[in-house]
Amino acid sequence: MNEPAPAMPISFTAGATRNWPLRVSLFILGSIALLCLIGPLVSGHPYDQVYRDYVLVRPSLFAHPDASEIDNAIAAIARRMHVHIEATRDGETMHLTLDAEKPVDPRVLRAFARSDLFAPAHIAATEDEGRRLEIDVPLKRMVFLFGTDANGRDLFTRVLIAGRISLAVGLLASFVALTIGVAYGAVAGYAGGRIDSLMMRAIEIVYALPFIFFVIVLVMVFGRHFVLIFVAIGAVEWLDMARIVRGQTLSIKQRDFVAAAEALGATTPAILWRHVIPNAAGPIAAYLAVLVPRVILLESFVSFLGLGVQEPLTSWGVLVADGARNIQGSIHLLIFPALFLGATLGALQSLGDGWRARA
Amino acid sequence: MLRFFLARVAMAVPTLLIIIALAFFLMRLAPGGPFDSARALDPEIAKNLRHIYKLDRPLLEQFWFYLQSLAHGDFGPSLHWRDFTVNQLFATALPISVALGTKAMLLAVLAGTALGLGGAMSKSQIGPRIVDGAALFGIVLPVFVVAPLLQLGFGLTLHILPVGGWNDGAWQNQILPVITLALPQIAIVARLMQAALRDALAMPHIRTLRAFGMPGFHIYGHALRAAFPPVVSYLGLAAANVLTGSVIVETIFGIPGMGRYFVDGALGRDYTLVMGTVVVVAAAVLLFNLIVDLVLAWLDPRVRYESRPG
Repeated sequence: MNEPAPAMPISFTAGATRNWPLRVSLFILGSIALLCLIGPLVSGHPYDQVYRDYVLVRPSLFAHPDASEIDNAIAAIARRMHVHIEATRDGETMHLTLDAEKPVDPRVLRAFARSDLFAPAHIAATEDEGRRLEIDVPLKRMVFLFGTDANGRDLFTRVLIAGRISLAVGLLASFVALTIGVAYGAVAGYAGGRIDSLMMRAIEIVYALPFIFFVIVLVMVFGRHFVLIFVAIGAVEWLDMARIVRGQTLSIKQRDFVAAAEALGATTPAILWRHVIPNAAGPIAAYLAVLVPRVILLESFVSFLGLGVQEPLTSWGVLVADGARNIQGSIHLLIFPALFLGATLGALQSLGDGWRARA
Repeated sequence: MLRFFLARVAMAVPTLLIIIALAFFLMRLAPGGPFDSARALDPEIAKNLRHIYKLDRPLLEQFWFYLQSLAHGDFGPSLHWRDFTVNQLFATALPISVALGTKAMLLAVLAGTALGLGGAMSKSQIGPRIVDGAALFGIVLPVFVVAPLLQLGFGLTLHILPVGGWNDGAWQNQILPVITLALPQIAIVARLMQAALRDALAMPHIRTLRAFGMPGFHIYGHALRAAFPPVVSYLGLAAANVLTGSVIVETIFGIPGMGRYFVDGALGRDYTLVMGTVVVVAAAVLLFNLIVDLVLAWLDPRVRYESRPG
């Protein structure tokens, strides 16, 4: 039984135009992966750094703090220090004049260093027995490209860190599913007969088991550990792969080269490894491109339910869930992670479609 | 046909039994018990509780008890909601989930078929591309992104529809959840339908109809019949997907359906409740597969006589 010949393209120019979704998807995926790898290193914010003075900041290209944020912060500090502050701005430094009833203890100036807006202050002049201080406070410049979350963490960094996790889960869990599925499918298809039908019955049974239940139980048994999410998801998603590989194996094992290998005395594992699996590579690769987005989506389902990645680490699913909770007022918390997640899933999906159309 | 039906039922029953056994023992494998709480119970009380719920018997005996009560249609008492039996909990929750699920599936089939038909009928290359592109959106946008966006748009901004809640099944409360549930299914059905229709329209019998000068609706009627099998086979899977989607949708829209029992039950080690949900869902999936098989056999006589292709 030979594999069917690939369908002839209807027109020869169609190939070139039809290729552009493939290229666009590859480009999108590449840039997202690169951004996720490099971005957190250069964003200037650790993913778990909490800026208490920058909670739910809106996304902007400009550096914080702006004029009103400075005014508010200085007013707050003045209230806490029980002083009156006159402020003038000179570029990146604030010149402050502190007036108080009693001499000002210089230690209270730590309030500036503790704030996320200012660098440590230093005293330029002391007058009136310490009741009047002239101080210089440099501003700390920070950019929050995507704004910050409800805890005051930089969303840009978090989205990229989440991307690392989501992509890693996607790849590793798919690898788990690939390994189980290919091994199971190849063995079932090659063995044939009763063993084959028994193994396929087992797959049907697992199919009918609600997979959310399966994942929840696995998470319960193994705990909410990050690595185990891959295993849990991979262990759920191998079924289709096994079916595809089995179907391929059934047709491949009737080809002449398999018979030749058998005649030459090759062992069954060797035949599977050297002949069957490589010849099934096309459909396997095509399905893999569909599997990866499914796994990423499944991880975000699991994380949405609070069973996946735990704080302060995060994944796109967790961020989107967070954003969904804060939708009124801070929509940027939903938009950015959803955009990244959607773009990745879309690119992977159309990549898979493109490959399948070629295979 | 009757023989075909009976053979399928005969296969479904042991499958269901194996699933029950699997879920039962998997559940018990997980560490922790239903009566664990932040404050440790008095050992005497814990012992009594375990005795009342027969949790102190050997596992196999418990399993046998469970099967017996299940045979009487009794899911047992809930270990978490101690004043309710699982049957009582399901009696209010199941109709809600079924109402949402069936409406979503119906919408998915109707809208998906219409879109797929539209794409396949278009003479140019543009129509199918639009359908494929739109479907891509439907597939990749996770339910938990779509749902809050719909809430924001229709609920908080336009004030047309309620943001959440069930309100005894008022139709306004059902619109957004049903749309959210149906959207990915619409997308998949549309793609499948379009691909299957294009294959079907290239078949010789359609060409013959065309050559005879049959009217369009006649031709498409025949093409639809030929195109339905792959779509119908998908619907079995779709039922399972709608069920899992409902966990999220019911959480977001605050609907008191079956969805929450899944997660809450499993996390609270409410053994009977989780078993109940597993049995109900597995039975639903098997039933749906059965219906799909029957419809396929009805659509395509070859299926009736052949053994099922792998």
